[in-house]
Amino acid sequence: MNHISYILMVCALLMGPAACSYESRQTTVHEPGVYKGAKDPLLAQQKQQELIDRFKLVQTDR
Amino acid sequence: MEQFNKKWLQRISSEPDPPKNIDRRTFLIRSGMALGSGALMGLLPLSCVRQATTEERKNFPKPGVATEYRHSICNHCSVGCGVIAEVQNGVWTGQEPDYDSPINLGAHCPKGASVRDHGFGYKRVKFPMKLENGAWKRLSWQQAIDQVGDRLLKIREESGPDAVFWCGSSKASNEGAYLQGKFAAFWGTNNVDNQARICHSTTVYGVSSTFGYGAMTNSYNDMHNCKAMLFLGSNAAEAHPVAMQHILRGKENGAKMIVVDPRFTRTAAHADIYARLRSGTDIPFLYGLLWHIFKNGWEDKEFIARRVWDMEDIRKEAEHWPPDVVENVTGVPKDKVYEIAKTMAQNRPSTVVWCMGVTQHHIGTSNTRLFCILQLALGNIGMSGGGANIFRGHDNVQGATDVGPNCHTLSCYYGLAEGAWQHWARVWDVDYEWLKSRFDMSQQYDGGGGKMDYTMNIPGIPVSRWIDGVLEDKANLSQRDNIRAVFFQGHAANSQTRGVEMKKALEKLDMLVISDPYPTHMSVMSDRKNDTYLLPTCTQFETCGSATASNRSLQWREKVIEPIYESKPDHVILYLLAKKLGFANEMFKNIKVTNDEPLIEDVLREINRGAWTIGYTGQSPERLKLHAKHRRTFNTTTLKAEGGPCNGEYYGLPWPCWGTPEMKHPGTPILYDPSKSVAEGGLVFRAAWGTDRNGQNLLAEGVYSKGSEIKTGYPEFTDALLKKMGWWDDLTPAEKKEAEGRNWKTDLSGGIQRVAIKHGCAPFGNGKARCQVWEYPDPIPIHREPLYTPRFDLVKKYPTFQDRKAFYRLPTRYESIQSVNHAIKYPLVFTSGRLVEYEGGGADTRSNRWLAKLRPEMFAEINPKDANDAGIFNGQYIWLEGAEGGRIKVRAMVTPRVGPGTVWTPFHFGGWFQGKDLYDKYPEGTAPYVRGEACNTATTYGYDAVTQMQETKATLCRITPA
Amino acid sequence: MARMKFLCDAERCINCNACVTACNNEHDVPWGINRRHVITLKDGESGEKSVSVACMHCTDAPCAAVCPVDCFYTTPDGIVLHDKDLCIGCGYCFYACPFGAPQFPEQGVFAARSKMDKCTFCAGGPLPDNSVEEYQKYGRNRIAEGKLPLCAEMCATKALLGGDGNIVSEIYIQRVTKRGGRPEAWGWETAYNFKSKKE
Repeated sequence: MNHISYILMVCALLMGPAACSYESRQTTVHEPGVYKGAKDPLLAQQKQQELIDRFKLVQTDR
Repeated sequence: MEQFNKKWLQRISSEPDPPKNIDRRTFLIRSGMALGSGALMGLLPLSCVRQATTEERKNFPKPGVATEYRHSICNHCSVGCGVIAEVQNGVWTGQEPDYDSPINLGAHCPKGASVRDHGFGYKRVKFPMKLENGAWKRLSWQQAIDQVGDRLLKIREESGPDAVFWCGSSKASNEGAYLQGKFAAFWGTNNVDNQARICHSTTVYGVSSTFGYGAMTNSYNDMHNCKAMLFLGSNAAEAHPVAMQHILRGKENGAKMIVVDPRFTRTAAHADIYARLRSGTDIPFLYGLLWHIFKNGWEDKEFIARRVWDMEDIRKEAEHWPPDVVENVTGVPKDKVYEIAKTMAQNRPSTVVWCMGVTQHHIGTSNTRLFCILQLALGNIGMSGGGANIFRGHDNVQGATDVGPNCHTLSCYYGLAEGAWQHWARVWDVDYEWLKSRFDMSQQYDGGGGKMDYTMNIPGIPVSRWIDGVLEDKANLSQRDNIRAVFFQGHAANSQTRGVEMKKALEKLDMLVISDPYPTHMSVMSDRKNDTYLLPTCTQFETCGSATASNRSLQWREKVIEPIYESKPDHVILYLLAKKLGFANEMFKNIKVTNDEPLIEDVLREINRGAWTIGYTGQSPERLKLHAKHRRTFNTTTLKAEGGPCNGEYYGLPWPCWGTPEMKHPGTPILYDPSKSVAEGGLVFRAAWGTDRNGQNLLAEGVYSKGSEIKTGYPEFTDALLKKMGWWDDLTPAEKKEAEGRNWKTDLSGGIQRVAIKHGCAPFGNGKARCQVWEYPDPIPIHREPLYTPRFDLVKKYPTFQDRKAFYRLPTRYESIQSVNHAIKYPLVFTSGRLVEYEGGGADTRSNRWLAKLRPEMFAEINPKDANDAGIFNGQYIWLEGAEGGRIKVRAMVTPRVGPGTVWTPFHFGGWFQGKDLYDKYPEGTAPYVRGEACNTATTYGYDAVTQMQETKATLCRITPA
Repeated sequence: MARMKFLCDAERCINCNACVTACNNEHDVPWGINRRHVITLKDGESGEKSVSVACMHCTDAPCAAVCPVDCFYTTPDGIVLHDKDLCIGCGYCFYACPFGAPQFPEQGVFAARSKMDKCTFCAGGPLPDNSVEEYQKYGRNRIAEGKLPLCAEMCATKALLGGDGNIVSEIYIQRVTKRGGRPEAWGWETAYNFKSKKE
């Protein structure tokens, strides 16, 4: 057991009880992960100004 | 799909009752189709859901295919919303918001948002068909036209031209509607009509006899400027949803919104003041308002003195309506009436809005007149923010009223007198004597009150009464024989009352021809076995033409797609039939015809050449197309173009658009508004009833439109008046030749109108609006209880009219019905109205997948008290029996939306008759997705004493659990 | 960065269902499901109010939080989308969603739940933009065309607004100020001001 491993083990021992005593306030059991699906090509597009202009053209009372 | 739908309908009849305290839509969802949360789907039977078929999925937009954008106008109501269609390879693949339109600014109601479904047309009549021994048989167009034509000619031979009833449509374009009217004239009868009869005919008569023109005075957009608005018998949120955009903008600008209706409507949900009124008591309510107005001196005395004739008699009648009496008769609490009167008076300009809740009564014409009189008393007419904002129904009902088929007048209100026929004979370029020869000139008949006339000059049988034209003893008719055949082009029969008798009439007919995109309720409601023809007819998206919105603006529709299946547009069918009947050459003399298709633009040009009375003369096809192209340049409040090629003109050239198109009149955005010159769209009241009456001046006094060279009232313009004024030489030599001996209505050169306007004058004169209409049965509007009244105790004091022997060629009953106390057996008021998802008889909208999804069943709204009294619980089937015995089986919707004592149903359903689903009677594949009882199976007799408008809004019924 | 939001102005909503129909038209949503609903409270009584509801594209979307297969993603402008190829139709998202947005069309004779379907803010899904495949799975991708959701663009009274949150708020505040009422931006607290517990 080298020096670093020893420190890590001590840390783990110290943190263990602390983690156990923390009462989770999450309402969902599941921990969300990272999106795992296909990449949406839309994300690469810069549409911001175009959409603002469109909003003003279509949805305002004029 | 049919199998599914049929099973589904059978299945829901045994569904458990939905829980209480849920809204109207949830109620329907739970009682039938699952459109609620998808997560609940697992709880529902499989048959509730189906996947779209491959066929239905094929109309989606394809990448990499060129898209064309076509501009049309929604065909579902009179607001006139622009529609942008995306078309790829001739297929309607998408719909975009028409945000450039100053009328809808891109907005749609669900009907407008679903018009692309017309491009699928699954439930359409796909080819001509004929009923043979109870089975539908396919025909070719040639066969259909030949068979129908031969039969018509045989009937004509045996019974004369009046034995056929031609029903045109306010869903046709102006050009289609105009040809429908012209067709009947060339066939030789006045037995022709359209939906306007049962929509706003009482408005047209009532308002035109008061102001001069019978149309909405201002516009939807102008409601931004109101300070108060009173809705009576109008449920704009469901009937004119996009109008609510302008109404709510007006409200946000500070206008007080008042709704008075027997139901707490979705419009009432947005109102500042709501009052519940007993059906059929509009006149007592309005006199109740006038009582407060006169008592508090809120009337506009100067306006009345200068521009109104005979307000005195109104003041006298109003004295009979003190608050206690009004509350007793109408049911509206005294303080509410006062509050409404005060709000209308203290927040001027205030406007009034009315629809079929006011018009569809046997005293409808009096109702609409008193509404006008209220506005005259308040001085609200002829100004922005005020006016009588009459919301019309169908997309082109205003146009069909103006130029289209009507039994009481030729195009554009010329009437039926010899002069009118001669005017149109000149426009049509046919010999008047030849036209006469088309009619039954063998003898004269009672034209009303014993005045004998030829049928050419007697109003025809109206659409509200065609069944009596079939069923009545022919000795009682003012024509040679009964109606033996009817031709319905674009009209739903389930929108007319007395369904049980209609069934009898249908069964008695020799021939029934239905020219419609969908097989209407009419094609299945009777037990006919033979001689029923279905002619597949296009929607307005498969042709082009103009349509007139409620605000009198004309909009041009481009053709979106080619006619689908074997369908043909109205004007082509009329041409083919005219050819078969032998008058196509005369009828289309000045209209170019290519491959049996008359040129729509030429039809509009012909209208332009003849329609001087109401200024349909300036709206050439070229000008309308220019407006459509540059619609973005029009201001959304004033509708005036600000810059661009239409600069200074009003959107759609709202009529009157005086003179020839070359005169470039901008249209009239607000009627009778003297603050603008006539050349800029200003106007005064029409001098349509002479210059004096019993020594009193009927011309305006000291009021004139801006820039007028005559600084007071003047009569209508004639050649003689021009000469008297010394303006005759302003005419060109060519105009002089045409104008000699003519007036502003009959001068085909337009010179008289041009010169009058040049001098700042209105061609139709400058008169007073009138409160007394001496030629009507009630010269001053008075209250008369409905024929079927729940308050029999009031009949003695407010009785109806006496029965009439010959009225629109028919005996018409009033007193003989009212004299019996029907309320003993039928204690509940029965009234009807619209749903936002459907339109009219509903044949097309109930066949639209996206709309059918939202509203799967017919129902009746019943107050909890009445439901409990009858032992009815929410969601169960009930029998609703009308006071003449017609019965409909519908779901009970128990709700406080209606007050105790009133039952309400929507009127869009059809496809059921007295408890029976008529699914099997539809041609294969054409039954609408949603079918249900037509409410008019249970409605009763009752017709307006001026126009023969049907009484649908105040009758009686009883309800029992089914 | 723009943040896309929906807002339904209850003072303007007339419960006409144009939004629902526009959505059905644009995406050809099958029978049995609707991505958007109009909810009416106090139906037929004084105080009747309606609002149009669909996926609100929440800031910290609870649907994404509970998804066991992590099929949700959020675009940089805040639109919450999902990959139907990953979705297993478990329905957790429906229970987590405060707006009832996720829909499950039935498929097959056993009426098994299929892939979840919901409002995409007219932004399609993780497939080539406006390809036939994307259209059939998710509907039309208007955002890729530079357009906004059709429900909002076609709203009869401009009650339903859909677009950049700042402009939507600006218009709404203007209306509220004019009307002199209290702003009640229905659903916004739940959807956009949700304080993440992890912060």
